[in-house]
Amino acid sequence: MLYQLRITLEYIGGSTDIAPEFLRGRVDTAVRCAVWIGAILLIYAFCGQSSKFIYIDF
Amino acid sequence: MIFNTFSYYLFFLLPAAVAYRLVSARLRPWVIVCFGSGFFLYFAYGMAGIWGALCLAIFLWESVVSRLYSPSSRWCILGLVQSLVLLGIFKYWNFFTGLLFYHAANPLRWQGAFLPLGISFFTFEFYHYAWDRRAGKTEQGTLGEYLAFILFFPTMVAGPIKRYQDFLPKLRATPGEWSQDWERGITRILCGLVKKFAVADLLTAWTNHLNAHDLLIADRRILPFWLLAYGFKIYADFSGYSDIAIGSARLFGIRVPENFNWPYGRRNIQRFWQCWHISLTRWLIDYVYIPLGGGRVAKPRIYVNLLIVMLVSGLWHGAGVNFLVWGLWHGLLLAGHRLWRELRPEPNLHPVPVFLSRALTFVLVIAGWGFFCMDMPTAMLFFRRLLIG
Repeated sequence: MLYQLRITLEYIGGSTDIAPEFLRGRVDTAVRCAVWIGAILLIYAFCGQSSKFIYIDF
Repeated sequence: MIFNTFSYYLFFLLPAAVAYRLVSARLRPWVIVCFGSGFFLYFAYGMAGIWGALCLAIFLWESVVSRLYSPSSRWCILGLVQSLVLLGIFKYWNFFTGLLFYHAANPLRWQGAFLPLGISFFTFEFYHYAWDRRAGKTEQGTLGEYLAFILFFPTMVAGPIKRYQDFLPKLRATPGEWSQDWERGITRILCGLVKKFAVADLLTAWTNHLNAHDLLIADRRILPFWLLAYGFKIYADFSGYSDIAIGSARLFGIRVPENFNWPYGRRNIQRFWQCWHISLTRWLIDYVYIPLGGGRVAKPRIYVNLLIVMLVSGLWHGAGVNFLVWGLWHGLLLAGHRLWRELRPEPNLHPVPVFLSRALTFVLVIAGWGFFCMDMPTAMLFFRRLLIG
């Protein structure tokens, strides 16, 4: 269960190339579109308060 | 700012990644060199003015000297020393001279001190190349290839720390399919930006309270939550940064090392360090721990080596006593874990001890961030208020 959640999150986050079994086929395209739209909306909603990345100063 | 600015994407990443895929193999390294130089000049000027931008000369000097490196060569030792000297001057001059004149005004203080963009990270890549050339572990490559390695702007400022022998074959290979690389790369970049904007920056509202004034007036029951917020903030911030760097490199068709692998919730501190800032941990193992003798020396020496490695890690993160204490804290945890492993070689796989060890590791790591995010007097105030009241 946790392993499935992990590989799903890694796939929708762009870390891995191979989709989990249940996301293959037509669902895959829909999920990828939803991830992009969701991410862009979140970025738009929160981008006004942005600060410097912590490790830039190291 | 860099990765959360439009100029990074519009002026550097997109044109560079497109140009890289369109030109011939011979010109590909020079596309990276041109855009990497422009990237450094633009952002270094924005952060540290003309002197910051002039630090591009460090890369040019390093690339010239690197042509002299060969297996067993003394030039490699010069390369190792010069990279450490540069880091020492820019990052630690005021810290160490301040220690010399602890009770008085520091007459050697460098008033206009600044940090060249990405110096802590490119120093590690310079050092790695000189070391591995001396050991005969990597080929020389052409001047263009080496410049492309050190000026590859997605990883120049804050990693992941690359290795030349890993990077070179990817630079020489024809980039993979556009559609796959760009879809995965952009997804990774968006994911990184979400972590930064929607998680890390949001948690700043809590972590901003980690200062002496707020610590004095706050209810002590809220203090662990502020530190917990910092633990999640630094993870979201730095893993988000790494996501953007890795996704950006993917647009070129180049895969760079991963930096995080679900570090929180690991069973012990050793596993935590294998999953947190992975490229730094591997660098410290290869260029500090193993040269000190690693695990092949007498047992007391192994513990000393672990402490030295983590003190180096702490000092690398910042020129301050609090960073040294943070490194010492993790060194002691690693030494304690090693001692425990010798007393109990077989780990207990029963769910309850496993859960407890995960929880304990998490709490100890979060406690360590107290020394990382606050200067020493503030951190002492935090723990005094937290534990005593």
